[in-house]
Amino acid sequence: MLRVAIIGCGKIADAHAAEIQRIDGSKIVAVCDSEPLMAMQLADRFEVPHQFGNAHSLLEEVKPDVVHITTPPESHLSLAMECIEAGANVYVEKPFTLNFADAGLLLQAATRKGVKVTVGHDDQFRHVARRMRDVVATGYLGTPVHMEGFYCYNLDDPVYAKALLGDNKHWVRRLPGKLLHNLISHGVARIAEFLTGDAQEVIAHGFVSPFLRSIGETDIIDELRVIVNQGDELTAYFTFSSQMRPSMREFRIYGTKNGLFMDPDHETLIKLPGSRFKSYAETFIPPLQFARQYWSNVRTNFRTFLRSDLHMKAGMKFLIESFYRSITDGTPVPIPYREILLTAKLMDSIFAQLAEAQKLRVAESDLVCV
Amino acid sequence: MNVYTISPNELILITGASGFIGTRVVAHLVSLGFRNIRCFVRPSSRPDRIAQLRQRSGSDVNIEVIEGNLLSRDDCRRAAAGAKVVYHLAAGTGGKSFPEAVMNSVVTTRNLLDAIVGAQNIRRIVNVSSFTVYTNSNKRAGAVLDESCPIEDHPQDRGDAYCYGKVKQDELVERYGKEHNIPYVIVRPGYVYGPGKQAISGRVGIDTFGCFLHMGGSNTIPFTYVENCAEAIVLSGLRPGIDGQVFNIVDDELPSSRQFLRLYKKRVHRFRSYYVPHFLSYGLCWAWEAYSRRSQGQLPLAFNRKRWYVDWKSTTYSNQKLKQLVGWVPRVSLSDGLKQYFDGCKAGGSNA
Repeated sequence: MLRVAIIGCGKIADAHAAEIQRIDGSKIVAVCDSEPLMAMQLADRFEVPHQFGNAHSLLEEVKPDVVHITTPPESHLSLAMECIEAGANVYVEKPFTLNFADAGLLLQAATRKGVKVTVGHDDQFRHVARRMRDVVATGYLGTPVHMEGFYCYNLDDPVYAKALLGDNKHWVRRLPGKLLHNLISHGVARIAEFLTGDAQEVIAHGFVSPFLRSIGETDIIDELRVIVNQGDELTAYFTFSSQMRPSMREFRIYGTKNGLFMDPDHETLIKLPGSRFKSYAETFIPPLQFARQYWSNVRTNFRTFLRSDLHMKAGMKFLIESFYRSITDGTPVPIPYREILLTAKLMDSIFAQLAEAQKLRVAESDLVCV
Repeated sequence: MNVYTISPNELILITGASGFIGTRVVAHLVSLGFRNIRCFVRPSSRPDRIAQLRQRSGSDVNIEVIEGNLLSRDDCRRAAAGAKVVYHLAAGTGGKSFPEAVMNSVVTTRNLLDAIVGAQNIRRIVNVSSFTVYTNSNKRAGAVLDESCPIEDHPQDRGDAYCYGKVKQDELVERYGKEHNIPYVIVRPGYVYGPGKQAISGRVGIDTFGCFLHMGGSNTIPFTYVENCAEAIVLSGLRPGIDGQVFNIVDDELPSSRQFLRLYKKRVHRFRSYYVPHFLSYGLCWAWEAYSRRSQGQLPLAFNRKRWYVDWKSTTYSNQKLKQLVGWVPRVSLSDGLKQYFDGCKAGGSNA
């Protein structure tokens, strides 16, 4: 039985607790939050026997096998280091750390101590993402050439957006990449999964949307466009938007033979054949083939639902299960450390460019004022 | 009964003062002659509402506005300093998130109570709770729900974050009352309606899957018009000799769900609704709950028997305790209240 603890009892901790409870061979033995009322509510609702106000006491008294860190990102490094030093395996919610350097430190410490670490990129483990990975593994794409990833977030969300926009001291504002830092790692990680080398050229452009400007917000960049180039062989476009509709999270990957289109919101995977039909057949047959593929997705999703496995956080359960298996059975960690580091590196590069552009804009506006 | 716990110049704090009920509480205090009022509001709240109140009040009335967040202990201390009576209306709905509900209803209340303990000059805190904390699962259909009704003992099983937050908030207030001798009163309004609110109570029905399911049928809906509710809250903070009491707030004339829906369609706009008989709604709630548990939450616990009992079981309501101990009478009649509400819905867009 894996003995699991959760540090940080906010909103995402609920999802962790719910998914851990669904996994055979694991038990939540303790929760921890610097706010005792938050620890109390999680322990109360999930019938957890122990609650703590600091990580040190938890690690010393309970000695968990695994710790899930679901605190705001600023504390990820120090808490994860403490857990690693205590010999616990660690699942860190996204974003993994504040930057690439911290990510490196954390992974080195884990390797040195002989414990395992993963990051909460659970979106990559939802059913459709796993189906896509299986198809890619068959060589369907040929050699990957280009990717397009969208990761949109609707700021109409009454709880999160209201809390962030209405609070000048909100922790998200203190992150190097602010709102983007907390939201884009799922989308960036999806691209990082298919990048093979270490040297990527990144061009990023970000701006505050007209909507946010209209309500007086000038600090939160909520529109981002990124181009990633890996040695003029593999490229990617990444878009984050709070304003475009539909507010989607689609991903497309094109290879030398075929392409794939994945829509996680609709749990839909579509194969994009590289070959063409002759003459007018191209206008009749492919649409029918697409219709057939969409219908096949409906049936797959329905079967998954009947199996009671179409939970909103099915990806998180799979990721946690895979991570636990890597601990108990010695299988590889579900997210390679290379991918965690690459995601952090790409995000560093994006935020550095946005910060530089912001400085230039401020300098230009100062000049205009003078 | 015009004997109050404080004099007109003593400081009164209202949290959530710019909200739907809060603005009316401030206005009512001013109308009773209280001249030293501190409004605690979030920076994101609507400042125009308090500004309007200031304009309407005389120059001898001091309406101070403090912007802050009850999650900040410093802000709480600033707010509570010198206050003799505190009306605690600020609360989070939390949406579907239990941690958000706890953070915005329980943690904030604890911070405020700690600030009050530190200030050591409080005459009373009025904690604004809700009918949602009650359960009537063991009462027969049609029985009276009053202050003696039991509180939901496993609020997490209702699948309603707001209910969980409010139950824990009330427990906290009672605990602080006992441990720190803080004089408190808990008020629990039914469904507060009036201009500025667009929603149709879930006790009437639910707008889902593109149609309106009328669940209430002949059930009485525990309405309280916002002005009546505000007056009850204000008086609960001022009447002497009621510390430690709990009061339910409902108006005298309560319409049935069917009567309300008929009027709404006539006065606001017409839409199609489908009546779901009680035996069927209970069966659906039971089935949903069973499936939710069997599938380990593939469907969230949005519908369940605990919810059915409080929202759709036939129940009657009493406001006798409030009338007897506080001396409150609902001044706005049902017909006048509904007229204002429907006019507001029409002006601001309907909700069904």
